[in-house]
Amino acid sequence: MFKISPLRKRQFTGGVVGVLLGICIVLFLTLKSSEEYISLGPMNEGHDDLSCVTCHADAKGNLSQQIQSNMQFVMGIREHNVDFGTQDVTVENCLQCHDRPNDRHPNHRFSEPRFKEIIKVIDATTCITCHSEHNGERVTVAVVNYCMNCHQDLKVEEDPIDVAHETLIAEEQWNTCIQCHDFHGNHRYEVPTKLQDTIPMQTINAYLKGGKDPYGTDKKYIGLSEPEWIKLNLNKK
Amino acid sequence: MIKIEKNPVLVIAILLTSLILLNSCGGVPEEKVKDGEMANNAFSVEEVLEMVAEENDVTRTLYTKAIVGKGKLQGMKFDEDWRKDDVEAGPLPALFLRGVATSIRKSPVPLGLYLGSDFPVNAANKFEGKQAELFKKIKEDQEPQFFYEEDTKLHTAMFADLASAGACVTCHNKHPQTTKDDWKLGDVMGATTWQYPKDSLTYKETIDVLNSYAMGTVDIYVEYLNEIAAFKDSEKPTIGDKWPVEGNYLPTSEVFLDSVKKLTSYKTMKKLVAVRE
Repeated sequence: MFKISPLRKRQFTGGVVGVLLGICIVLFLTLKSSEEYISLGPMNEGHDDLSCVTCHADAKGNLSQQIQSNMQFVMGIREHNVDFGTQDVTVENCLQCHDRPNDRHPNHRFSEPRFKEIIKVIDATTCITCHSEHNGERVTVAVVNYCMNCHQDLKVEEDPIDVAHETLIAEEQWNTCIQCHDFHGNHRYEVPTKLQDTIPMQTINAYLKGGKDPYGTDKKYIGLSEPEWIKLNLNKK
Repeated sequence: MIKIEKNPVLVIAILLTSLILLNSCGGVPEEKVKDGEMANNAFSVEEVLEMVAEENDVTRTLYTKAIVGKGKLQGMKFDEDWRKDDVEAGPLPALFLRGVATSIRKSPVPLGLYLGSDFPVNAANKFEGKQAELFKKIKEDQEPQFFYEEDTKLHTAMFADLASAGACVTCHNKHPQTTKDDWKLGDVMGATTWQYPKDSLTYKETIDVLNSYAMGTVDIYVEYLNEIAAFKDSEKPTIGDKWPVEGNYLPTSEVFLDSVKKLTSYKTMKKLVAVRE
């Protein structure tokens, strides 16, 4: 019924082994325990326990449907293209766990036209500008002088610190901001009144790389764990 | 051995099979407006933003006069730091609006809402560029300004934000960080900026915009009521169907929203059902 030429036996065996190996690899990589092998890099601080699916949800439809829909889109038969494999990760994914009503710098505020020049320098409308995932860090922005983009004209009435904010700004000491103020305002802590008592930059840098939290452990809001996120989503459905 | 390239029937068969396999499932269903949902775009973005801005005017005036203004007379406190743990107070009107804006952004409706001024209490809210330019015109004639934001591809509208209650004037004039201390009742204190990505909206999209605003007001008002529930040292007003004008009372979120609807629904409804050519 199915004859293999004696001259093609090696190719046939190779082909069969290849297909079987391929299936095994695909099956292996789809196991939850294998997620670290397909991850682009180590998860950022606090995200170690998350599964891929918490951010990379399956796209709508099966692969065949997705190919077909995107081909139709290319040919102009369809109005919108569709995600292929997994859905795009957006700010909404981050906010599902990190939504805080009191965020000092919520992403959406920066969509306003008056920030359009600033977001060309630092796109604060999206989390990944500072928190690029799969880097094994907490904050991935290169230099923490970003406050300079909006707060050059800051004046503080009854300035509580010994070196006035206006002086720090005039001297362009933009790194000192983060030594007192955490960007999202999510910590309960006493802000020092002397510049020498502020958090040393070395400690801050270690924190940004994923180290100990120098602002303290008393946080106003804690990001959701994966089980809490699942529960929240099940309730929504 | 069969050579594929020399067998056109096989080539066609393979192509046909691939095509059938590829199309057998049908594509991912496209989200289209269902029949009966008025598929045609019914309103221009300007009309919709005007509608929602009017609802905002009424809501904010009600909150400022009936809750903040009358509430203060009953001893209720309102503070810019109302979310801080050691502050037992409610949101000031500008922060009430910011709360609404935050809630809208969390909804699936792609509507943006912001508040700014040329003399803001918070320097971060000062208009710049195009907004500052258009705000000058708004101050002159109080007419809304519309423009298309090329960079963000968003249709943008700005509406005058007036000092509609005594509380606006006194709070802004007395604020330690105020940049202007001679505000008067009726002044254009700032402007709300609204953004939407489409130039026209279906009837359903229009209703979604109006609902997302209404839900935003409920969300922030409920947050305020939750804040009151957590008061430790301050006297808590009774929450029910009475308003601060009657004593130490606050309306429930349902009563508050009902009042907003009573004040806005006729005008909005007239626009929604207006005969269109």
